Parts: sequence; C-alpha cells; structure tokens
Amino acid sequence: MSTTALDDAVAVLLARSLEAWRVSGTVERAGDGALAVTVAGRELRIARAPADLPFRWVVEEAGRTRGATSVTGVLRHVRAAVDPLWRPVRLRIAALPLPLAPP
Amino acid sequence: MIPVTVLTGFLGSGKTTLLSRLLRHPDFARTAVIINEFGEVGLDHELVETSEESFVELQTGCLCCSIRGDLARTLADILARRERGEVGAFERVVIETSGLADPAPILHALMTDAGLAERLALAGVVTTVDAVNGAATLERQPESVKQVAVADRLVLTKTDLVEGGAAALASRLAAINPAAAVVSASFGDIDPDLLFADAGDPVRAAARLEAQARAAAHPHHHHSAAHDADIACFAVVRAAPIPAVVLTLLLEALAEHAGGDLLRLKGLVNVAESPDRPAVIHGVQHVFHPPTWAERWPSADRRTRLVFITRGVPQAWVEALLAAIEAEVGEVAET
Repeated sequence: MSTTALDDAVAVLLARSLEAWRVSGTVERAGDGALAVTVAGRELRIARAPADLPFRWVVEEAGRTRGATSVTGVLRHVRAAVDPLWRPVRLRIAALPLPLAPP
Repeated sequence: MIPVTVLTGFLGSGKTTLLSRLLRHPDFARTAVIINEFGEVGLDHELVETSEESFVELQTGCLCCSIRGDLARTLADILARRERGEVGAFERVVIETSGLADPAPILHALMTDAGLAERLALAGVVTTVDAVNGAATLERQPESVKQVAVADRLVLTKTDLVEGGAAALASRLAAINPAAAVVSASFGDIDPDLLFADAGDPVRAAARLEAQARAAAHPHHHHSAAHDADIACFAVVRAAPIPAVVLTLLLEALAEHAGGDLLRLKGLVNVAESPDRPAVIHGVQHVFHPPTWAERWPSADRRTRLVFITRGVPQAWVEALLAAIEAEVGEVAET
C-alpha cells in the first residue's frame, strides 16, 4: 500500500518520540499501511480514520479504539500509553504580547 | 511600558557588584531594583548604593518558590508608589534573584500576571558567571546550569583574577547557551548598553534574534560536564512560510510533551498569512507571550528561525514534530 508524505512523517515522528521519551520500542508499518508501535509487549495500531468518523486518526490497543483529530492528538494517545509517568503540560499564553521584543 | 530585567547568577558570582556599578552609571539612573535574598536577614540591599533617582526594595525568601506572589505584589506596589509620586519615575526595573533561584518561575510571574503585563515588559535575563569558580559551580550546581541556559546575556565576572583569561569557561558557556551574548566585567565595570541596548527597539531585537539563530545553528560541540550534557541549544529553520495553525499546534505540542524541559524558545517566524513582517515569539517552558509583530524583517533573510534551549529534548524530535504537523496541515489544505 502506498503511503503519503504525512504517513511517512508520522512514522518518523513516532520513532523520534520514543527516543526522546527514552522509551524502548519499535515503529513498523503493517501491510495495510497502519503503523504499529510496540513497547514492552504492548502494541498500538495507528491508522487513518474511516471517512464516516469525525476523526483523522484512530489509535487502537487491545481492541480499544480512540480517535484523534490531528497528529498531535495521536502523539498524546501514544505517549499516555507508553509513558505512564508522563503528565501533559498545557500551553499557557502570557497576559499580553511582548511589547519589547526579547533582546 | 517599563522594561524589567532579571539579573541572576549563582551565589558569589558578582550580581550585586555588577548592579552596584550599573546603578552609579548616569545612563542607568531612574532604576527600581528588587533584590531577593534567601534567608531572613538580607545584606545585599545594604551593599547597593543608588543615586537619588533610583531605589532598592528587598524581598526575603526564595523568589522561585513560595513568594512568587510577593514579587507580583512588590511590583504592583512600586508601580502604585510611582504613580503617587512617592518614588521617582523609574524607567526600568531590575530584579536581582537569589543565587539559588531558578529563574523560570520568576519569568512566568512577569509573563502571566495580567495587571503587571499592562505596565511591565520582560526585557531579558542577564546571568553573571564567576570566571574563577564558574566552571566548578556548573559541575556541581544544576541551578547554575539553568541560570546560564535561560540567559539572553552572560556576564563573565572576576576575569581579572584568572590568569590566561577565561577561554575554557567561555567555551563551556557557549556549549550550554550559544545564543547568549557573552561580555566580561571586571569589578562590575560594564557599559549598560552591552546589557540593555535592545530594549524597546523591535527591529534591533529581531536582528539580534537573527544572530542568535546563526549561533544556535552552529553550536559548539563541547560537553565537559555530565549534568549539563542534556542542555542543548539548537535552531530549527524553515525556508517556506509557516501557516499560523502550524505554529499554534507546534507550540501546544512542545508545551505538552517538553514542558519544563523547554527552557527557552525564541524565534522569528515567517507566518504564511503575514509574510511582510516577522512574528517574534518568546517562551519560557510552557508559557509563551502572544506573538509580537516586528515592523519589518531585519535583513533579506526571511526564513523562520526558532532558537531552542532545552534539557533532554532532541532536535530530531522537534524537527520531526514540525514536519508531521506541516504535512498534516498541508494535506488538509489540499482536500
């Protein structure tokens, strides 16, 4: 099955993410084009969502499926699954723009 | 807007000496100084002499921990006293942190307090490093590494006491934070322009960001200490304009996954929706200012340049994250 630039970019992102999170695991492409992330015997399957779902991606593990609207959502699901100590930090925007650009 | 500079540096690195000399300089008149000392009995504020137009406030406790709210109250108080004419009409504020402070929470306090942000603007972080003991301090004290990592400018102090100069230490500092300008000060003697020249001039500041991006793109590969080996400074560059939504998604994901390890992110961004002027972005850990628009590009180079100072966040991950977001936004745009 052919892949798009986005599919390839997501595969690279997931592999780099495992390295960045210091999690031992693999990222492989299945015959149907889905990505399989395997960490400590657990396998997550990441695929494009069917057209009738309001998501762009689905992340499946042990029969449980979660939707994601973007690659950053996929990344959030994957990290939550493989890095139990991770606590997401929400972006906070300062009160006002920086009137004096940083020196 | 009144610029606020955070002056930090490890214990004994010469912050107070530097501040004392600066406050005697005519160009540094009308400065309000807040000195944070760790412990109930402070001395540093007694060691700082000011002109009649400047004044010093003292806070005890650790600014980065329990009394962050006190900092906001102190700043609000001096602004109110300025309005009532009870203190001089100061034109800048310098916050000298205790030598043990992590500067990041202090920067967050300045960035996120809506009342303060209407009157005060973070102008930069200046970190003093003792040329005699600096290398050993960096080896043993993680706080000192972070103080160097978040700096816009590094001031090498006590250089007169080091035979043969401080080249090795300067190289070490460049390895931790190649984007920061390094200047030397003997006995605290330094031209204030070297520390504060860009305040208030977005184009000059943008030009300086360009230089920082160039420095970060060619970092020194010198890591002599085990515990600062994780600190990295690198630049991510994009020739093509970046859609605004890509920038938003990138910052959200960086905060979400890197959080406290994103020590500093500064950048000039060629936003696709507004290519004639760069957006200047500035963040400390997960807290970002809304982008500021410079009036024009500082040079013919209109590439997006993002300068990262991180702890344990690989450049390859940031590049892959940005590439995936760009690919997805591009795919959506085509459909």
